[in-house]
Amino acid sequence: MGTKDVKPTRSELIELKKKIKLSQSGHKLLKMKRDGLILEFFEILNKAKGVRNELDDAYDNATEKIGIAEAVEGRMVIKSTALALKEGPVISLESHNIMGVVVPKIEASSVHKSINKRGYGILGTSSCIDETVDSYEILVDKIILAAEIETTMKRLLEDIEKTKRRVNALEFKVIPEMQEAMDFIRFRLDEMERENTFRLKRIKA
Amino acid sequence: MRLFQKLRRRGSPAASSGSSNYAYVTARVRAMKSNLLPNETYPRLINMDLDEITRFIEETQYKQDVDELARKFKGVDLIEHALNRNLAVTFSKMIDISEGELNYLITEYLKNYDIWDIKTILRGKYYNATLEEIKDNLVSAGQFKYNFLSELAEKESYENVIDALSNTDYYPILKNYDGTNLPEIENQLDTLYYQRLFNAIGTPKSSDRKLFSKLIRTEIDIKNIKTMFRMKKEGVEDGELEDLVLDGGLRFSLKEINKMIPLPFADFINSLEKYPYWEAMSDLVTPDMESLVDLETSLTKYTIKSAASFSHAYPLSIVPIMDYMISKKNEVNNLRIITRGKAANLDEDIIKNQLVI
Repeated sequence: MGTKDVKPTRSELIELKKKIKLSQSGHKLLKMKRDGLILEFFEILNKAKGVRNELDDAYDNATEKIGIAEAVEGRMVIKSTALALKEGPVISLESHNIMGVVVPKIEASSVHKSINKRGYGILGTSSCIDETVDSYEILVDKIILAAEIETTMKRLLEDIEKTKRRVNALEFKVIPEMQEAMDFIRFRLDEMERENTFRLKRIKA
Repeated sequence: MRLFQKLRRRGSPAASSGSSNYAYVTARVRAMKSNLLPNETYPRLINMDLDEITRFIEETQYKQDVDELARKFKGVDLIEHALNRNLAVTFSKMIDISEGELNYLITEYLKNYDIWDIKTILRGKYYNATLEEIKDNLVSAGQFKYNFLSELAEKESYENVIDALSNTDYYPILKNYDGTNLPEIENQLDTLYYQRLFNAIGTPKSSDRKLFSKLIRTEIDIKNIKTMFRMKKEGVEDGELEDLVLDGGLRFSLKEINKMIPLPFADFINSLEKYPYWEAMSDLVTPDMESLVDLETSLTKYTIKSAASFSHAYPLSIVPIMDYMISKKNEVNNLRIITRGKAANLDEDIIKNQLVI
């Protein structure tokens, strides 16, 4: 808002005062939101680090288990056994709100199946296969958890960035410009007041 | 000579009847056994990289299989398929050259491959897998020839597969498959395999048949131990475990197993101490054990070593033939463990632990 565009009227001054007050309270609220989001973000970041480490461990474990199973039983056996299970896990996606940021909540059912519900017979298979299946079930769980936490983190980061831009815009541009405009109007109104007083004095004289 | 043998066998009315040609088959087996890799090969292979192992395998009896499959597969998959193909050809040859009762015993012993192939085809149909996927996982090392298995795999649905098997011993079980109860059907097929094998032994009278019986019944015991460990560790209900134990074990009667089933895991382990298999387990079993892989490997080693220990006892009997088949299977397993283990970057100790040397 340039000072040239401002009409130096009393009503404009009142309007600007209202706007500045609103902007200042908005600025305060956005600052609080930004700080809250940052706090929330750091909490989730710690959780995400833990989950990422768990995911890496689960992946390494699953890779080792399938490596052993392929060595001991053969890839043909693993592939054939894998055909016995058609149903994948059921994944449901919901959302919840953290300070106005919509983040996903991912829930999965039927990831873990007991040994006798995995589709393959017990007598023709070995514990190598059981342990590989176990390790991949754990891996799927970790992937789902990591997906939820990392998406939440990404959304929070985007919103923190957006809120920070708004706070900065209010703090360094919008409010100072309005204050400048208000000062200009005050100055112009004072000037007009002085001109009127001078004009009246001249008429009297 | 082989043609003569084949003609003679075709003329025999039933596989279990007629005279057996132990002398001929054991002579062939002795010759084939000389082609097996000596035990000192495996530590050398562990020290080689994957390319060197591949080159080594291509210079052995597996060369022809590698060459023939090289157009379709590559890398470690090629090695695994070549090993399995060689095993299938070798075992089919054993069925082809044997006669009478010997042929019956070998066929019964190798029927686990037929069962495996039936399971693979049914799983493939259940999953709607492609024909190629199903065919790639078949091993025709049993009574069923590859062409027959291919035809089965090409059938439209599982119902057609089962219809095509209506003349086999598996049909009474397979006819109960409704498209949803595959695990039960698989377990019943495996139980049938051991039942038939146990029945094939009958009441052994001669010393060599007693040894053969010991070998098979030890295998049944080991299978029961493995099943009990797996199911107990997973906390599966006792009733379900009872359905999975096999009758005919050497040391474990059904009565003894039924006593073990309700025991808590720690007590179950203690109850095994009085059996000869304990020596293969004692260092590995604890009430809070996490993995059963090493235990299973140790028990498999026990079976193979006990078979090898009496392989020279009766030169003109089923015993050296069984020993050869077990040794051949073990060679294929060992080569696969090394190549797959190397390809998966497994620790050398893990690879060594899984080898049966």
